Amino acid sequence: MTERNILHIRDLDISLGTGDKILNGVDLAIAPGKILGVIGESGAGKSMIGSAIADTLPVGLAISRGSIEFDGLTLTDMTAKTRRDLLGRDIGFIPQEPMTALNPTLTIGQQVGRHLARIGIGSARKREQRAIELFTEVGLNRPGELLKNYTHQLSGGMLQRVLIAMAFASNPRLVIADEPTTALDVTVQLKVIDLIAKMREAHNTSVLFITHDLQLAAEVCDDVAVLYAGQIVERGEARSIINEPRHPYSRCLNLATPNLAGPKTRLMILPKAMPSPLERTAMAGCKFTPRCPIAGDLCIGTPPPLSEISAGHRSACHWPERTETITPPPLKADDENTVLGADLVMKATGLGKAYRQHDWLGRVRRVEALRGLDFEVREREFVGIVGESGSGKSTLTKLIVGLEDITAGVLDVVGMDRATTPRERFFDRVQLVFQDPQSALNPRRRIGSLVTQSLECRGSGLSASARKQLAKDLLAKVMLPPDMIDRFPDQLSGGQKQRVNIARALCSNPRLLIADEIVSGLDVSVQAQILELLRELRKQASFSLLLISHDLAVVRHICDRTLVMYRGEIVEQGPVEDIFTNPQHAYTKKLVAAARGNSGLYADATEQEAENEAF
Amino acid sequence: MRISFRLPDLSLLIGGSVAGLILLCALFAPWLAPYHPNDQELLYILAPPVWSADGSAEHLLGTDSLGRDTLSRLIYGARTAMTVAAAASFGAMILGAFFAHLAGYFGGWVDWIISRTVEVWLSFPPVVLSMLLIIGLGVGTDKVILAIVLVDWTRFCRVLRSEVQVVRGQDYVAFARLIGFSHARVIVKEILPATLPMLITLLSLQMGISVVVEAILSFVGMGVPSDVPAWGQMIADARIDMYDAPWGLALPIFAIFVTVLSFNLFGDGLRRTLDPRHTANRGA
Ligand SMILES: Nc1ncnc2c1ncn2[C@@H]1O[C@H](COP(=O)(O)OP(=O)(O)OP(=O)(O)O)[C@@H](O)[C@H]1O
Ligand code: SF4
Ligand SMILES: [Mg+2]
Repeated sequence: MTERNILHIRDLDISLGTGDKILNGVDLAIAPGKILGVIGESGAGKSMIGSAIADTLPVGLAISRGSIEFDGLTLTDMTAKTRRDLLGRDIGFIPQEPMTALNPTLTIGQQVGRHLARIGIGSARKREQRAIELFTEVGLNRPGELLKNYTHQLSGGMLQRVLIAMAFASNPRLVIADEPTTALDVTVQLKVIDLIAKMREAHNTSVLFITHDLQLAAEVCDDVAVLYAGQIVERGEARSIINEPRHPYSRCLNLATPNLAGPKTRLMILPKAMPSPLERTAMAGCKFTPRCPIAGDLCIGTPPPLSEISAGHRSACHWPERTETITPPPLKADDENTVLGADLVMKATGLGKAYRQHDWLGRVRRVEALRGLDFEVREREFVGIVGESGSGKSTLTKLIVGLEDITAGVLDVVGMDRATTPRERFFDRVQLVFQDPQSALNPRRRIGSLVTQSLECRGSGLSASARKQLAKDLLAKVMLPPDMIDRFPDQLSGGQKQRVNIARALCSNPRLLIADEIVSGLDVSVQAQILELLRELRKQASFSLLLISHDLAVVRHICDRTLVMYRGEIVEQGPVEDIFTNPQHAYTKKLVAAARGNSGLYADATEQEAENEAF
Repeated sequence: MRISFRLPDLSLLIGGSVAGLILLCALFAPWLAPYHPNDQELLYILAPPVWSADGSAEHLLGTDSLGRDTLSRLIYGARTAMTVAAAASFGAMILGAFFAHLAGYFGGWVDWIISRTVEVWLSFPPVVLSMLLIIGLGVGTDKVILAIVLVDWTRFCRVLRSEVQVVRGQDYVAFARLIGFSHARVIVKEILPATLPMLITLLSLQMGISVVVEAILSFVGMGVPSDVPAWGQMIADARIDMYDAPWGLALPIFAIFVTVLSFNLFGDGLRRTLDPRHTANRGA
């Protein structure tokens, strides 16, 4: 530990033109070959740390105090030119969105070539050689051909590998990875993580790993810093922070994350939201005070220093020792034993779907998306569907709601044959909650009009004021204030939008609700709110839920039963606990292992998987 | 739609005000023009504009070879140009938008047929196609309008179709179908509001294009009838005396140039101002 730090950020402030601080006194250090995780919710300022190092801060933001030292050189004092030379060569970047980081109009080879030329490989032949070498190192098959491909011909996982290869191309001493796996499937996620770990070992590179996923951070990082409202609230060894946090915020995050193992509990719900930079300026004491379960008078006026509580472990709280007294809300008596109805809400027998694709000449090609599905959903039952992207989960939901036609088998929904019954009969009984609230809510409608939209085309006989009241009631159901009815979707936060999305589906009292990845992409604390909301709603309204999720812990948390899908088929189904503790099918085993962070099972499958991903 | 005009776009401002001025000229031509455009004053043939050595204040921009007042003809020409441009652009927009929404929304064979038709249509050079149409239809203001509509609807169709496809892919469109909205209702209530900004922008650009096409057709004598003053015709008439009276040629060309430029600027400004990416980034 006496070695010199590769990266040392000292007392860094980043401010808006108005003087409001985005980052406030951030102190971080990474030793050679170590992985430092930065975790926190959206808007905490995680990406700003990366941007400050890369000198890519958005316009209007600037470093107003402190310094960034890289390998003994002070980045913040350098001329722009020397700094640029350092970036990309001594400091590599793995961006959050692989799709947007590469140029769709150039081949992979051209882009990698450019990068290699920039880091000083002169001849074209040598560049190609090096590119192939790098691609092989990150486990990409047929690297020669890949170089001639365009970005749209590669899957997200493959693109992320290309970017990792580029980041490590110059054997940099520091790599900054900003949520490198958020856009990827669980199974691919793990490979990317493994890869980063492997590259770090091979090149003794230090990594700054930015993520919102606690489990993941515990998995890959040596040390972790928890960021809240632009300040580091806890810093220390990864495992101890994730498992025995000594700051209330870290503890709350931990309690808000559903687990794959251990007893089921209710999730911790943090009230209110993180203060905005403007609000932070007005707060004198601890920025976590309004949301902290154990806040006292001292917290309002006096900011707690980031003080050492044990060797190498720091926490910015007046009473770190009280952290453990924060416990999740107890299970209510009626939480566990929901009585399932006797009737079936849905029954599929030999269900299949083949798509017909037209090409330029109008020729038709058949693609089988689903084959021979058999399953049932009972009244009030919550059923989870898990599987990687492309396994047919979304196609199945489209069949159930009637957005696509069934091409084989029988699907019975709320007691009627989906294929032969007129569409109108299903409108009120089956509802879909879409994955991405951004896309699911028409940005040109007000919230009030959105939540009662289902009444619009059928003469509901409701007066304008009755409709308004209904909108308010629905918002109350999802715990949103009634005055939101006059807002537009882009005036709401992600979690609020998702709640509007759910309220809208509840408008017609459906018997079956289908939720497609409704919590992916949400912050831990927001996800906890939505999950608890669903459990709460289950008690009041009597609907069945089909929850599609890539996150097994989420499925375990709220579902009774789960279906596992793989390449258009259901490979396994049963009660959640059985499936997750004792998986039978090879794919389920792999999935559970991936979710548990056990990559051992995995290594052999990597080769053939990469092959399949290609097109 | 909430559009924030925090930063009024410069080209929107300039293009819009010039285009507006031209439209006003067109609307109030009878009151603005000092003479009737077809009144001949044979004493003042090829009079130069007022600022040249022997120009007179009676004919501010001079006269043409038949002694007609150039200023009045320019103003009435604006009337012709604007009538044709507005009617033709609206017609082309409605036709193009209709098929674009059908193709983009329904996809499949509907899209296939419409897209192939548009491609075939676009393979003819537009000016040639409109001349062929005029030969078939005959001369007349309404015929010119019809010809431009028939030629240029494809431009709307092609651009809007992909826009419609993007919106169609949004989940809120699927949701509207799920709760029982009819196809027509989905298109009008959910899709059209989103494509409207693009529609308006294209309309403005099309105005400029229509002005040019009308001028070309009038220039070759295939446009509006000869008793209707038109810029293209003025250019054609002034050609013969180009060396004695260059102003007669320059002024209508300048009028066309300014009109097209202003509509293009306006369209460009609109595109930028109405672009949702511009307004959506607030608070991100
Ligand atoms: N261009 C900008 N102008 C003003 N404020 C900004 C700008 N970009 C970001 N911010 C603010 O900076 C803060 C930190 O943003 P940052 O992107 O670092 O968050 P993050 O922790 O990376 O979140 P996420 O998990 O969503 O990526 C936020 O409060 C955000 O609103
Ligand atoms: S200082 Fe007070 S408000 Fe802040 S985390 Fe500690 S107990 Fe909570
Ligand atoms: Mg970020």
